Amino acid sequence: MEFLYYFADVFTPLSFGLLLLGTIGGLILGATPGLSPTMAVALLIPFTFHLQATQGLILLGAAYTSTVAGGAVSAILLKIPGAPANIATTLDGHTMAQQGKGAKALQLSFLASAVGGIFGVLLLIFLTPLLSQWALAFGPSHLFWLAILGVTVIGSLDSASVVKGLLSGCIGLWLATIGFDDIMGAQRFIFHPSLGGGINIIAALIGLFAIPQVLTMFAKGRQDNDAEVLVVEKHSVRDAMREIMRRPKALGIGTITGSIIGLIPGVGGQIAGLVAYDQTKKFSSEPEKFGKGHSEGVIAAESANNAMVGPSLVPLLTLSIPGSPTAAVLLGGLLIHGIFPGSDLFDNHPDVAWTFINSMLIGQVLMCIFGLYVAGLAARVAQVPQSVMAAIVLGLAVFGSYSVQSSMGDVYVMAALGVMMYFLERFGFSAAPLVLGLILGPIAEANFIQGSMIANATNGMGSYFLSGALNIGLIVVVIASIGYSAWMELRSRRYTSKEEIIG
Amino acid sequence: MRHLIASAAVALTALTGSSTLAEGYPERPVMMMVSYGAGGATDFQARIVTMTAGNEDALGMPIAILNKPGAGGRVGWNWFATQADADGYTLAAYNIPHFIAQSVKGGVQYSADSFEPIANWGADPAVFVVAADSPMNSMDDVVNYAKENAGKLTFSGAGLFVGHHIAALQLEQAAGVKMAYIPTKGGGAAAMKAVIAGDVMGGVNNLSDAFRAEQAGNVKILGVFDLERNEFLPDVPTLKEQGYDIDNASVNFRGIMVPKGTPPEVIDKLATVVPEMFKNPRIASKMQAGGSPMHIMTRDEVKEMWAAREETLKELLAGL
Amino acid sequence: MSMQSLPRLQHILASGVVAAVGLRVAWISYTAQPSEAFLFPRLIATVFVVLALWTFAKAVLGWTKIGHGISTGQMVKLAPGLAIALIYIFWAAKAFGFYTAGTATFFILLSLYDPAPHNEAKSWIKRAIITAGYLLVMYGLFAKLLKVYTPREIFF
Repeated sequence: MEFLYYFADVFTPLSFGLLLLGTIGGLILGATPGLSPTMAVALLIPFTFHLQATQGLILLGAAYTSTVAGGAVSAILLKIPGAPANIATTLDGHTMAQQGKGAKALQLSFLASAVGGIFGVLLLIFLTPLLSQWALAFGPSHLFWLAILGVTVIGSLDSASVVKGLLSGCIGLWLATIGFDDIMGAQRFIFHPSLGGGINIIAALIGLFAIPQVLTMFAKGRQDNDAEVLVVEKHSVRDAMREIMRRPKALGIGTITGSIIGLIPGVGGQIAGLVAYDQTKKFSSEPEKFGKGHSEGVIAAESANNAMVGPSLVPLLTLSIPGSPTAAVLLGGLLIHGIFPGSDLFDNHPDVAWTFINSMLIGQVLMCIFGLYVAGLAARVAQVPQSVMAAIVLGLAVFGSYSVQSSMGDVYVMAALGVMMYFLERFGFSAAPLVLGLILGPIAEANFIQGSMIANATNGMGSYFLSGALNIGLIVVVIASIGYSAWMELRSRRYTSKEEIIG
Repeated sequence: MRHLIASAAVALTALTGSSTLAEGYPERPVMMMVSYGAGGATDFQARIVTMTAGNEDALGMPIAILNKPGAGGRVGWNWFATQADADGYTLAAYNIPHFIAQSVKGGVQYSADSFEPIANWGADPAVFVVAADSPMNSMDDVVNYAKENAGKLTFSGAGLFVGHHIAALQLEQAAGVKMAYIPTKGGGAAAMKAVIAGDVMGGVNNLSDAFRAEQAGNVKILGVFDLERNEFLPDVPTLKEQGYDIDNASVNFRGIMVPKGTPPEVIDKLATVVPEMFKNPRIASKMQAGGSPMHIMTRDEVKEMWAAREETLKELLAGL
Repeated sequence: MSMQSLPRLQHILASGVVAAVGLRVAWISYTAQPSEAFLFPRLIATVFVVLALWTFAKAVLGWTKIGHGISTGQMVKLAPGLAIALIYIFWAAKAFGFYTAGTATFFILLSLYDPAPHNEAKSWIKRAIITAGYLLVMYGLFAKLLKVYTPREIFF
């Protein structure tokens, strides 16, 4: 309960001002395509040079929580996921916005983010010592199986055809191998100098999601938009709260999956949203509604990716190991003030540690309030005429992908992938499994190689990858996931063939 | 409007030759490329040592950091050697021995001759760490275990052909043992996690990161791969003191360089201003606070160090 | 679903291209050196080729169930926008600078796809105003707030 003593520190005028600044600034930065939470936090580090340690961290903590949630805004309104965490949000969120239910989608996403986020931070407050053991439990073999578990999701994710979903995933896995391989330093598939650095995941996300949408709008031609003026439905916050209460399963699965997966160093944050989305779909009584503007999709994805924020900081705060790129940047913010995370932080600077954690708790609430306040307004973006929208999204895609690391090569890669994806989508391939492959490929490969090097030096491959409770547990889940997908596929096939007979 | 004039001026000077360039240099903010990700040790230190660049007694213009991470730094340095403008407005951070080792190994578009050093700001030696609960308490314990179990002692480091790998090779050579070096993806942090979690039995890591992990009570530091003990760890003996003939070839020197072809006047200006800039007490206190050892060297000293390093590394890597 | 006919030829073409890419990837993975660095690509490429050939075979046999391809009408409408976007990204952005090229592209795309009549001064003024607003927002956000270094200086 120590954290309660430090609540007052968050509410001093300067601290609270910084908290507001961090939250609102974070939402705007998060909603800007190309600015991942990591980048946003890195951009704010120089400001903390002039602040005290506590205040600097309040700013960074608030910015971290709200950029993650802010990413949902561009995912829902523009179909440009701000970070890998928001991919799953586009699937149902953007569809809802196109149906004029943007306000509802945004409200649900902010509410779900707040619920997930607060749960995550509470875990951080109460279970840190336990969680740090869990974070360390994942060695190379376990991370490899975890990545494989992610791969099994590929087939069932947002694709009408399992084979084409898997094929899209394979294309993604292959794209991820382009560039210098990280361990050996060998060059692979670099057939253009722009690819020397590999495919930047943020640039790829922008291209794969935003460009097909621009081209789809172009393909509709000079249509008269009087014909289809979209009515943006008003949606009251109270209705949104009621809706979220009615979907406890999505909220629960999202929050718990996000918290557990978010904890695992190096993997968690990126796939938490997608895994939660997939699990919710599998456990839902109406899985066929997913991908067509179903509120459960938004709730699961957004509660998961904010629930991961708190636990993702556990390895940093307790063991001084940054578990994610954003945590690494936060580490810099601490070091600049001479504070070492780890036992030193909680023993000698409890004011800094607890004020930081408290600021994330309050930040979640502020983010939610502010988000709900602007949701109705922001949803009107969907009313922007198609021609204007296409040009704006194209511009944002170019600037966003360039700003990731000021590289023209990233813009070329973004455009090439985007145009390719447009045509592939016309033939039943889809972007979500491809991106999942792109994310999981390097994780699976690096951990497999590292694991096999350790295994060859010690007990041999078989016992390293296949024994131990955690390995076996993960393998069982992998098999269950494949089995479930296969069963669903067979069942739906029976359905469609029946329909065809009737039709 | 100011930018318009500034860029017109740059265009003009490009036409009229470089002599006028140095007089007003720098006229606009300078960019510095760091070939590791935001939050890494190099990035963190680069941001600190350049934070006073905008002061009147330094460059008078701020230095903006640009990260181009990937493949142990190869991506950024390839870009810097082939695509960066040699006009003095594009600087880069170097890591020795990393980029020299990579150029010796081959497969990259740069070598020590592609760049002109400006000044060195830091030297971060490699250290050998084991988990806090490990039965090993000295380098002798480590080497004895490795002798009894040839090739079975697993230890992590931040990749191949980086300082950690060089240290590992030197250790194997000096002790005459075979060990299993496990390169991790994700830099020193991932390598440290592997040690703390017990995925590997030991590891080579940066002194600054190991110092923090030791303070947190997670690891024991058994030896420093340097010529002298470090001020942060006065109680930890060097490898040499423990009887292994290992020099400072693996020490991670960090500093600033420009591409070859940068006008000599600009290089001269930078070479006089930058080392002075590093001496700013604000920088020293921030570096100290972050546990990052400073080591300021001038352009001529760095040139010598590069040449010496290249020779050692060619010898060491010849067998691979 | 089953009522609508799918463009079989287009499907054969598309899945053929994917299969060709897969075969090429597999070829490189199995031949390139150092071979240990290509262990993982070999694994992926094998699955890739199997799935791609399966898809190709289904397309040839006309068993493809999803994906409606592109109609000629859509292609005609898409072509000018796609061409302009590609010219902007692969050439103009670097040659003229992000903001100049971006603004010009924005205005041209708007003129091409905005349904408002082309012979009215009013609609042209409206387009110009929207374009100016776009330039302002982009410049403010990326150049001023985020200080992104664009290839030809901050202004251009």
